[in-house]
Amino acid sequence: MNTQQTAQLKSSANGFARRRSERESGMRLENKHQSGKLNQNRSMNAIGTSKAPVYESPSRDRLVYLSTCLIGHPVEVRLKNGSIYSGTCHTTNVEQEFAIILKMARMTKDASYRGSKQEYVMKAPSKTLIIPGKEVAEVIAKDVPVTVAGQSNELQNERHEDILIDSSISHSRHVELDRELSPWVPDEDDPQCPGLENIFDGPWNRGWDQFETNKMLFGVKSTFDEELYTTRLEKGPRMRELEREATRIAREIEGEDTEDLHLAEERGINLGEDFDGDEEVRFSSVIRGRGLDDSGYDEDEDILLDKRNTETFGDVPASSGAKTDHLHRGTSNDSAGALLTSSVDEPQCSQSSNGSEFFQSNTYDHCRQQADDLPCKSSTSDCNGRSLYGNPEILRVAQGHDSINASIETKTVAVDGKLSKSNESQSAENSQTAGFDRGGLLADAPSVTSSVKEMPPTEPEVVYVKADGESSGVSACRQPGTFASGSDHAGATSASSHPAVSPSSSLIGSSSSENSTLNPHAKEFKFNPNAKSFTPSHSSPVRPPSPVSDGSYYFTPNVTTLPQMHGMPVGIGMGPSYSGHQHVLFNPQVAPLRSPQPYFHPSGPQYGQQMNLGHPRQVLYMPGYQPVSSSQHL
Amino acid sequence: MEGSISNSSSNEDFAVGCMLSIKTTLGDEFDGQVITFDRPSNILVLQEGSKPGPRRNIRFLKTNYIKEFSFLGQSEDPLDIKKCYIDLQSLQDREELALRQAEADAERIGVGVTTEAQGIFDALSKTLPVRWDKTSIVVMNEVRVSSPYLPENVIGGTPAANDRVKKVLELERRRLQTRP
Repeated sequence: MNTQQTAQLKSSANGFARRRSERESGMRLENKHQSGKLNQNRSMNAIGTSKAPVYESPSRDRLVYLSTCLIGHPVEVRLKNGSIYSGTCHTTNVEQEFAIILKMARMTKDASYRGSKQEYVMKAPSKTLIIPGKEVAEVIAKDVPVTVAGQSNELQNERHEDILIDSSISHSRHVELDRELSPWVPDEDDPQCPGLENIFDGPWNRGWDQFETNKMLFGVKSTFDEELYTTRLEKGPRMRELEREATRIAREIEGEDTEDLHLAEERGINLGEDFDGDEEVRFSSVIRGRGLDDSGYDEDEDILLDKRNTETFGDVPASSGAKTDHLHRGTSNDSAGALLTSSVDEPQCSQSSNGSEFFQSNTYDHCRQQADDLPCKSSTSDCNGRSLYGNPEILRVAQGHDSINASIETKTVAVDGKLSKSNESQSAENSQTAGFDRGGLLADAPSVTSSVKEMPPTEPEVVYVKADGESSGVSACRQPGTFASGSDHAGATSASSHPAVSPSSSLIGSSSSENSTLNPHAKEFKFNPNAKSFTPSHSSPVRPPSPVSDGSYYFTPNVTTLPQMHGMPVGIGMGPSYSGHQHVLFNPQVAPLRSPQPYFHPSGPQYGQQMNLGHPRQVLYMPGYQPVSSSQHL
Repeated sequence: MEGSISNSSSNEDFAVGCMLSIKTTLGDEFDGQVITFDRPSNILVLQEGSKPGPRRNIRFLKTNYIKEFSFLGQSEDPLDIKKCYIDLQSLQDREELALRQAEADAERIGVGVTTEAQGIFDALSKTLPVRWDKTSIVVMNEVRVSSPYLPENVIGGTPAANDRVKKVLELERRRLQTRP
């Protein structure tokens, strides 16, 4: 066996090939009339002169044709000595003997080898293997495409790495497929409901138990227990009703009209004969909602939230300095606003008015009005003897803590006196208002608000407010009418007018006379020194993060005096977990108040808390307020 | 039959379509239908299998190696001349593709290794990246398995990899034993 694999031989193989092609072309020219078609598409247009003799026979043509078909195809060459080589056919020469050149050939059977199969040693494949025709006994090739159909299919397949997609099979232009392909049509059944389902109708009716069968056939005992996988239905007396109800509901749901294509199809709602859409649309594709965009926060949501905020807090003209946005004053929130304002202004007022007149009805009204239009500038003037229009005051307070300090001090002083006086009376009236911080409230807008929150049930506070520390003030304060817009009022006023403590009697009287909504039977607030500070457990979903949240904080000016007062919330000011800035007066003596009083944390959720009460409060923000902590006013 | 085939072209034609049962000197036996017979080269081209279609199993047999044959019947020409076209370009492409494939396959075959070793290599390659290095199997570029490819011959690599290869090797050997 002389198989050689040298470059030289390779070139000679090429020579073979060249000669062969020449011959082929020669043959083509001459055999055109005979079997022209056989040679027609040969792209090889070698130079026409053929020197070798031409065999004019169709059989020869066929041979050549078929051997050409082998090119690139895996073949098996059996030699006359019995050895077998496998490889890719590169070219053949059938002119005389069937010579063949294989690429990447391997000897799959070695005739000379006598050993057992186990020990057959593999040899490396030869890149090119030339087998002389004399040696060749037989060439076997499987799945050779001999016609056009076979060829293109094969290439397609190989190109796509043997992935045959359905459309290429079904729409094949190659008629010569194994069988005639025709599109599937359903049986006489309704095309919407293929009859496949009939087979498994009512398995419980079929009378075939798979477990029994299995046991019988294979002796396998089943441990299947349906209850493991489903909830047991209690078949009690009410079963019928429940079933009926359930089926009713089910029918209702199933009978519902739906926009969804697929649901409609499931329910058997006919779409109409001329439905525009092919099978894919009808049965398979996912329907994307029109205009649905759940990519996240929408403009609309934004607006919606803003709107809600506005409703809640009232419009805030931008002009009013720092974070006036957050100076909310809903129309219904007057009390709160007033309260706040008053509370904030307290110090101022006290300062200015020296406790002579804290509240005046007209001022209150005025405050209210002014609260409504934010840009409250003339706060100082207002403050003087007025019930503080809190906003501007607050703002100013925010910006200048010094003033607050001063005011606080003054106020503290002022309050002290009053407080002592009103202690008893107030204690009686003290409503529970957990967290109602008399002292704190005064200067502390948020606390006021919080107290306001608590207030509703406790009206005695209001009475307080009207306390006649300053008779005039008291009387002024005593505006249940105005206050009565809500218990808040009472609360607010009471808070704000804290310094203006009046004998309970007067308060009570005023409250009752004015049909206040205060609850005279409310429990007295008892301060719990061990209480933890309040931290909101969740944030309001409605509330967008508001920049003003920073501004909320407590103002607890008069901490020291409070201990004397029974049940006075003391030193509420500090929430434990403020996000840093804006810590106002901190009273180290007093443990932070317990949760009932919602602390205003400088974070959005606080407002949510408030909102939850259903009383829109006016919250005063003191955005730029610098912590006064340096001065522990006690 | 060879002798009876005359030189005239017309006579040659009749052989086409004959169903023959042939025994070759090499020990092959098969049935086939004559596609063509080329007298000058004594090559008989037969089509095996009866299934119609574009792809056929074809044998080129030199008549000198026919030990005996018998005539089974006469059928029509299995080759439809009208549909016989060749696209050389596609042939060449096909060849290239096949070569690439074959080269890839060749990588997987060890040179000078026993069939048993090759079997082990093939089994390992199903789940692990392996390659040949002379007569050693290199797994994951770390672990070497040298002849005789027993679990003891697993060397190298991290302990984890080593153990894994050992385990796979044991399993494969066991499987190869039960299935000859």
